Amino acid sequence: MNGMDILMAVIGSVLVMLFGIFFGLVFKGIDRVLSARMQARIGPRVRQPFWDVGKLFSKENIIPENAVKWMFSSAPVLGLASSAVMLLYLPLGPLAPVLQGHGDIILMLYLLVIPSLAMVTGGFASGSPYAAVGAQREMVMMMSYEFPLAAVVVSIAWKLNVFGIANPFSITSIASNPIWMNSGILGIIGSAILLVVLIIVTPAELSKIPFDAPEAETEIVGGLLAEYSGRNLGIFYLADAVKTIVMGALLVAIFFPWGIAGIVGLAAGSVGAIAADIAFFLLKLFLVLFVSVTVIRTSFARLKIDQIVYTYWAPLTIAALFGLVLIIWDLNLLGIEWYPQVLGGW
Amino acid sequence: MDASLTLETGSGFWTPVLLLLGLVVCIVLVLIIRAFGEKSYKRGTEQTKPFLSGNAEGNKDAMHVRAGNIYWGFLEALKGYYTPTVGAHTGDVTDYLIWYIGVMAVVLGILLVGVLL
Repeated sequence: MNGMDILMAVIGSVLVMLFGIFFGLVFKGIDRVLSARMQARIGPRVRQPFWDVGKLFSKENIIPENAVKWMFSSAPVLGLASSAVMLLYLPLGPLAPVLQGHGDIILMLYLLVIPSLAMVTGGFASGSPYAAVGAQREMVMMMSYEFPLAAVVVSIAWKLNVFGIANPFSITSIASNPIWMNSGILGIIGSAILLVVLIIVTPAELSKIPFDAPEAETEIVGGLLAEYSGRNLGIFYLADAVKTIVMGALLVAIFFPWGIAGIVGLAAGSVGAIAADIAFFLLKLFLVLFVSVTVIRTSFARLKIDQIVYTYWAPLTIAALFGLVLIIWDLNLLGIEWYPQVLGGW
Repeated sequence: MDASLTLETGSGFWTPVLLLLGLVVCIVLVLIIRAFGEKSYKRGTEQTKPFLSGNAEGNKDAMHVRAGNIYWGFLEALKGYYTPTVGAHTGDVTDYLIWYIGVMAVVLGILLVGVLL
């Protein structure tokens, strides 16, 4: 590793983090407008989240007298920084990850826990009963959605491994070999089930309705964020925006990694092709987030914490494992003569 | 970049040094962003009291939510599993030995059937 590599990694990290913050806030604005329209309201303007952050940063940064002050103040910083770090391992359309080849999707599973743990730490450090209840719920929720999430990841890596793809847990390998490829009808159905599972895991990762029991404004007045205000709350707001982009980019990398430049006849590697692919990536990103965040949070009411646990441990885990079983059957049947003729052709 | 810094885990891999470098860069950037925000607040005033929906704060020691409640949602959702499991923990060593011998008998039976077949 030379100095130039390190310098490029540092510059790349800064740019990617600013990308995540900007487009995370843009999506929040779009999400609020679309959710409002689905409820026959006008809603705010798309730029409202930027104004919200500006206003939070101009308000007093109150630290409660019961709080563990250093922990209370450092939790938002860790939350935003750890959310941004995950973007360094994800391909952003045609742009390779900043830390490509230096971390796989297992690392991503671990990193996904850190922003939630930062919120839990901040909640417990608040010295408030509401925040403590919210932090406890967040911990329980983390234990719940990890199982189906891990089942999805293992299923995908297993398939790549069967096909002899090097580094099956590498996100770049996963994005280069979409799970839909080399599949018969059972494999397509199995992959679609895994997609649905990951779409339902996403709102829990982001603490969105119906999985927002840790915050639950109408019940525990914001839960683990109850005592936060000013710039600390603003930083948590930005962390949520960045993590939203992380989850969207992960969904796109696993299930919809294709570009559009080749289809419209742009020369590979040209500026036009890169611009088209970035625009297409953002379109895919906002579409998967629209389904997994906006539609779900607008369509459902909040679940109780025990209902959340049951949802992830029973139906979703079984669904993820069933998706894996279908993919295994599909690969076994592909070797039999009649299967590709009767049910294949995909 | 130097591949020797990358740790192999069989199927997986990661480079802790670069992870830490990325994290440090992001933390520095967050601190810069944070520095643009208002730092002050009125210490020792009403605004630093915990928000309790208008209720007066009681004894601080009594206001904590006990750690024993942490897993309530988890235990409630999976009580179909936990209730009989907890019931099986009688605290009687004789019961545990019966479980131990019973499970051993089942495992040996399965092995025996496997060998005979």
